[in-house]
Amino acid sequence: MPTDTKRLRGPEESQSPMLFLPPDAQILKASSRDGSRGHADVRPIFARCGLVSQAKGSAYLEAGNTKIICSVYGPRETERKDETDMKSGRLLCDFRLAPFSCLKRGAWIQGNEERDLSVALIESLQPGVCLHRYPRSQIEINVVVLENDGSILAHAVTCASIALADAGIEMYDVVLGCTLRQDGDTCLVDPTFAEESGNWLGGYGENQGRVTVALLPNFNQVSGLHADGEMREDTLTEAVRTCMDGCHKLYPVVQHALLRAVKRKAPPSVK
Amino acid sequence: MSPMKLCVPGERLCSTEDCIPGTGTYLRHGYIFASLAGYVLRKNEGEELPVISVVRETEAQLLPDVGAIVTCKVTSINPRFAKVHILYVGSTPLKDRFRGTIRKEDVRATEKDKVETYKSFRPGDIVLAKVISLGDVQSNYLLTTAENELGVVVAHSEAGVQMVPISWCEMQCPRTHAKEFRKVARVQPEYLQA
Amino acid sequence: MAAGFKTAEPLEYHRSFLKENCRPDGRELGEFRATTLNIGSINTADGSALVKIGNTTVICGIKAELAAPTVDAPESGYIVPNVDLPPLCSSRFRPGPPGEKAQAASQFVADVIESSDVIQKKDLCIEKGKLCWVLYCDIMCLDYDGNLLDACIIALLAALKNAQLPEVTINKETDLAEVDFQKKNRLKINRHPTASSFSVFDDSVIIVDPTAEEEGLSTALMTVVTDEEDRLCMLHKPGGSSLSGEKLQDCINRAVMRNREVSKLIDKVMESVKAKK
Repeated sequence: MPTDTKRLRGPEESQSPMLFLPPDAQILKASSRDGSRGHADVRPIFARCGLVSQAKGSAYLEAGNTKIICSVYGPRETERKDETDMKSGRLLCDFRLAPFSCLKRGAWIQGNEERDLSVALIESLQPGVCLHRYPRSQIEINVVVLENDGSILAHAVTCASIALADAGIEMYDVVLGCTLRQDGDTCLVDPTFAEESGNWLGGYGENQGRVTVALLPNFNQVSGLHADGEMREDTLTEAVRTCMDGCHKLYPVVQHALLRAVKRKAPPSVK
Repeated sequence: MSPMKLCVPGERLCSTEDCIPGTGTYLRHGYIFASLAGYVLRKNEGEELPVISVVRETEAQLLPDVGAIVTCKVTSINPRFAKVHILYVGSTPLKDRFRGTIRKEDVRATEKDKVETYKSFRPGDIVLAKVISLGDVQSNYLLTTAENELGVVVAHSEAGVQMVPISWCEMQCPRTHAKEFRKVARVQPEYLQA
Repeated sequence: MAAGFKTAEPLEYHRSFLKENCRPDGRELGEFRATTLNIGSINTADGSALVKIGNTTVICGIKAELAAPTVDAPESGYIVPNVDLPPLCSSRFRPGPPGEKAQAASQFVADVIESSDVIQKKDLCIEKGKLCWVLYCDIMCLDYDGNLLDACIIALLAALKNAQLPEVTINKETDLAEVDFQKKNRLKINRHPTASSFSVFDDSVIIVDPTAEEEGLSTALMTVVTDEEDRLCMLHKPGGSSLSGEKLQDCINRAVMRNREVSKLIDKVMESVKAKK
C-alpha cells in the first residue's frame, strides 16, 4: 500500500466502532419513510449562493442531511493546450467527499468513486454551459460533500449549476439532478444514504438499481443519465420519467436562490 | 420606474419578432432566451426593434477579445518579446490573470526592425496595449502597442520613483533626473494613479 | 480609480491605510474580524464545528475509530489532525496532494495538540496495550481569506468539545470489544488553547488577523498560542523580518485577550446547542 507522506498518519490499522456492534443491531434502518415522505417525494432543498468569497461563484445546497458546497473559478487561461480546446472552453471538476462525510471515515486520497463522480458531473453539466463563449479558457468546478446522506451526484449537479450561474457563466439553462432507487416494484425518489445502500429486504433480487438524471428544465431535455444495477426496460423508462418530475420540483427553489443573489447586488445603472 | 425584471439562465424572454438579442442572451427556435442570471434590459438603439440583454451588476465574464484595449503589467522581457499579465480589459478588472505577449515587431508602428525590447519596456511597467490575436496552440494572447495612444503609462526608475514621460520614447526620473528609454503612450499617467 | 491603484500597486495601497492606523476593510490594527461558530452540524461525524473569521471558513469533523496502542505507549490513544486546503477554497490551491501550506498547517495543529495537552492521550485508552481510540480530526478550509491557523484551532477545540464517543467495554469472557451506541461519553478537555495570528508590515507595523491579501504583502507572520491560564503553548514564526522583545510581548498580551474572547464564544454556542436539545 502506498504511504501518504504529505499527511499526518495515525496507526497502521484502525476500525470503525460500527464493526463491533452485535450482528443483530442495525444502525441503518432500511427504507421506511414512516409516512413523513411519500416514495415519490424529493426532500425539500435549501440553496444559497455566494458563500465562498474567493470564488467567482459558489453555492451551498442542503437536502435533508446531505450537505454540498461548490465553488466556481474562471474562466481562466487553459492549462493544457491541445488543438481541440482552443475554440471552446472546457469544464474541469474536483469532486471530494470530506473524510467525515460518510458513516465510515473516508481516506483523504481521491478514490475511484470521487473520480467517477467528477466525470459524471462534468458530463451532466456540459450540455447546459455555453462553452463556445469561452475560447482558450477553462472553468473550474470544485465540489466538496460535507455530509453524505444519499443522492450526492444529483444534488451536486444542481449545486454546481447554481454556482455556475452565480459566477456569471453563460448557460443555456440551469441543470437539475434527481436520483431514484429502484427496489423490486417500489421506487424511492431522492433516497437517503440508508435507502441507497441499506440491506435490501430480500437481498439482491430482480429490478434493483439506481438512476440519476440531470435535466435542463426549460427544454425538458435530459443532459445526463447514470444508471447502475439491473432493471427491466419498462421500469427504467418509468424511473427516468419519475426522476424528471423530481427535477422539476426543485426548479422554484433554484430560481429563487439565484434571483436572491442577483437582487443582493445593486441593479445596474441604466444608461 | 417599475422594478426591473429579473431572470435566470434558460428563461424565455421574447420572440425574435419583438427584439434583437443582446449580451447575456441566445437564440433558439425563433425565441430569445437568457443565458445569465440578472436583470432584463430593453434598449432602443435606433433600429426598428429594441435590443434585449441580460446584465449583472458585476460585469459579466469579459475575456480579452481581438481589438480590445487592455492594461497589463510587464513580467519579463527578452530580445524578441515582452511577457505581460493582462490586468484589465477596457476598464473592467480581470479576476484571473491572463498572460500575453508583445512581440518585438508589434512594439511600434515605424522602424520595426530597429526596435529593442529593452529600450521599450521593463518588468513592472504598466502598459496599455491592444489585442491582435488570441494566439495559437503554443502562444498566449498577442498584443500590440503600435499606436500613439498605446505603450507604457506607469514606470518606475531604477531609483524606485515613478517617472515622468518627456517624449514618446523617453521617461525621466524626478529624483535622479536620469532618463530611461520606454515606448511611452500618449496618455496622462495620472489616469491610472488618480 | 481606486480599484486600479489597488490592483497595480497593492503594497502602496495598504501602506496608505496603515499610515492612518486603519486597514482597507475598515478595521483597526489590533482588531479581529467577526468570528462565528456553528457546532455539531455534521451528523456523520462524532464531533464537528464550523468556524468563520470574516470570510475565512473552516470546518472540522472528528471521526473516532478503534485501534491497538503502540508498544512504546501502551496507555495512549492517538489524535491525528490533518488540514486540507481544497481548490474549492481559493484559486491559489490546486487539486492533488496537499501543498506546503496544508502540510505546514497540519503539523502546526499537531504541535499545538502535543504542546498544549488539549486532550490527555491516556484518556483515550480503553484497555492498556489492547485497545484505544483514534481521533481523526479532519479540518477542511472552505473559504480561504487569511488567518487559517486561528480558525483551525478554534474549529478543532469546538469539535473536540462537541464530540461524543460510544461506550466501549471489553468482554472478559470473549476478550472482544463491545460497543454501546446508546451510552455516549464526552471527551475530557484538559486545556483550551487558542491561536492569534499577527502579520508584520514593512518590518515595523503589526496587525492582527491578517486577510489573505495582507498575509501576502507582509514581511513576517507570527502565530501565538496560549491557553486559558495564560500560558504560552506555542509560538510559530516562520522566518521573515525580526521582531523586538517588546513587540513580541505586546503580541502575547493580545493573544491572551483573544483567548478570553474565543472561550466566551465557544461557551455561548455550546450553551445554545444544549438548550436546543
